[in-house]
Amino acid sequence: MDSTTTTPNPSSEVSESTVKNDKKKITLSHRIHTWPYLVRMEFLTAIIVMLGMTVWAIGMDAPTEQPADPNRTPNPSKAPWYFLGLQEILVYFDPWYAGVVLPTLIIVGLMAIPYIDINPRGNGYYTFRERKFAISVFLFGFVVLWLSLIVLGTFFRGPGWNIFLPWEYWDPHKVVALTSVDLPYMLGARQESTMFIVGMLLVFCYYPGGALVGQLLLRDTNIYKQLGAVRYHITAGLFLMMFALVIKIFLRLAFNVKYIWVTPWFNV
Amino acid sequence: MADSNKSFFTHVKESYVWRSMFRHGYADTPRNRILQISSNVFLHLHPTKVPRHAVRIRFTWCAGGVTFLFYLVTVVTGVILMFYYRPTPEHAYADIKYLQFDVPFGMIMRNMHRWAAHAMIIAVWVHMLRVFMTGSYKPPREFNWIIGVVLLVVTMLMSFTGYLLPWDQLAIWAVTVGTNMASATPLLGHEGPFSDLIGVDARYDMRSFLVAGKLIGGATLLRFYVLHCIFIPIIASILMIVHFWRIRKDGGISGPL
Amino acid sequence: MANLHKLREEGCDPRNYTWSRRGFLGLAGWGAVLGALGLAGGSFGRFMYPRVLFEPQSLFKVGYPDQYEVNKISEAWIEKERFWIVRTVDGFVALSGICTHLGCTPRYLASENKFKCPCHGSGFYAIDTLDPYPGIAGVNFEGPAPRPLERFKIGLAEDGQIIVDKGTIYRSEKGQWVAPDAFLKYTG
Repeated sequence: MDSTTTTPNPSSEVSESTVKNDKKKITLSHRIHTWPYLVRMEFLTAIIVMLGMTVWAIGMDAPTEQPADPNRTPNPSKAPWYFLGLQEILVYFDPWYAGVVLPTLIIVGLMAIPYIDINPRGNGYYTFRERKFAISVFLFGFVVLWLSLIVLGTFFRGPGWNIFLPWEYWDPHKVVALTSVDLPYMLGARQESTMFIVGMLLVFCYYPGGALVGQLLLRDTNIYKQLGAVRYHITAGLFLMMFALVIKIFLRLAFNVKYIWVTPWFNV
Repeated sequence: MADSNKSFFTHVKESYVWRSMFRHGYADTPRNRILQISSNVFLHLHPTKVPRHAVRIRFTWCAGGVTFLFYLVTVVTGVILMFYYRPTPEHAYADIKYLQFDVPFGMIMRNMHRWAAHAMIIAVWVHMLRVFMTGSYKPPREFNWIIGVVLLVVTMLMSFTGYLLPWDQLAIWAVTVGTNMASATPLLGHEGPFSDLIGVDARYDMRSFLVAGKLIGGATLLRFYVLHCIFIPIIASILMIVHFWRIRKDGGISGPL
Repeated sequence: MANLHKLREEGCDPRNYTWSRRGFLGLAGWGAVLGALGLAGGSFGRFMYPRVLFEPQSLFKVGYPDQYEVNKISEAWIEKERFWIVRTVDGFVALSGICTHLGCTPRYLASENKFKCPCHGSGFYAIDTLDPYPGIAGVNFEGPAPRPLERFKIGLAEDGQIIVDKGTIYRSEKGQWVAPDAFLKYTG
């Protein structure tokens, strides 16, 4: 039952050497009694949190609006705040992608992290220097994409899902020119078939094209050799998918681009 | 009353009944410190000794523990709310109003439930952030990270299914938007790409599975109620048991090797 | 499952193990367990789709054609039944009030001659007097909506009232707006 006697020391060689080299002097911390040191901290934290909760619950009432009316949509209609990032993405992509495929990719991508991040350093302590790429990508996805889109959806979206500054009056008749065009049309393609082909080329050049070009460029580096082809392609795929979101948001906000590739079955 | 120098509490503590419940004394000895943990079913969640950094707030942010605390708060307040709430379109909204204005302490129970649910989501995200920043998903804790990701999703699902229950405008439209995304699922939703290839229609697809029909109504409310109060909490509890168990089996709290 | 390593030591080729008596019984046992679980799961899935749904009726009589003004959009039914009656020079359309993006009800903004969805900002055209049949009412032109609003089956009842059937929908992108019952020709 007691795990204190069986602390495993995995991937030992590399991490031990880095520990030795590290100037922060990471030593094997010696163990202290759970009672009272840990239990005391937990108890204190629980009391403080419960105090905060009580004050919050007394001071602020949970919202109740008018009774449900399936025929009258409030303007604007917002999802729960923790889904507003997704609702914001729904502006840029069709529901099958923004509402289903992308969330699935986020979940699968998060689950895949321990298996694609094979860097043995930074296991169990704070460090940025030893894992710059992993932390940058994660913080970009979590803070820049997820959290800031939630802030945008919560505070900057008003009636008609138009952008309003927090102190602006929510005018339901605000006119915003949103007339949108597809990217192939913007690039000069006019016929349906050429637009289809141009769109397809753009999408395929990005993925898997981008991943394959990256593979060629990185082929001889140590990073690629350590990762191996499978891990590389999973990482590159997830990374490109994440970046596709940024590109689409930029294209929409800057040029009113609606779709990049229109097909009879789905639009991207 | 043989020894009059002993206090009343000493008498109680030395009594046969007390000793049958608490098998060791309270004296501050190393042996007793260990017994406090290992002979108590709840505290036994912990190992008897932990690394020094495990009690440092700066390292753990206590985010996982706080998440669990918020879960317990929502369970307790949720069960209390269930005494008054009826999941039908006729009653649901009125019952919420009744709880708020006519039931003593009803308002604070509802507020607690709602805010603790929101706080739990924030705490889960913070916990994920701290586990990522300390690289605690690295071997041997890969599998526990996966359980954690599932728990993250389950937490948001618990909150989302609860969102419909007040049966107000906020509830029904948030859920309309949410469930309509399900109808856009590739293959399995009637609005999704390729769905006509396998004959999925509005009557039998991903969305009608959640909504119990084509329209959001009484059947939807009941379905979300069962998911919210029974189905998802049971799954969450089982996953939490595995999550906590694996922390210890994977070598306790992570730390510099 | 037997230990293949041990089998090899005993001089038995593991490749033959699968179809040995022990191997086969093991497979059959696991197959039965998984099959039963699969069946239970499938049954639960089917259990969640009842044979009969109790949903509101879909047929409505919406009054006589002369009650509606030409080139106007009637909001008489949007509050209760979520559709607009669009009257053009050539006749009538029953336009669904369910946004094709994620199912919110768009607002009709008469001054801008469009329908605007409050959820994600999709916009749909209302009336173009130069295009009375089948009309542009419901065609998406801005925001994320992937396709035009749907139209309902519309016709004249025996007593001369307009009758709308929400149970039958016509989708523009499938070329159904020119179907006989998608548009009520009326020039009176």
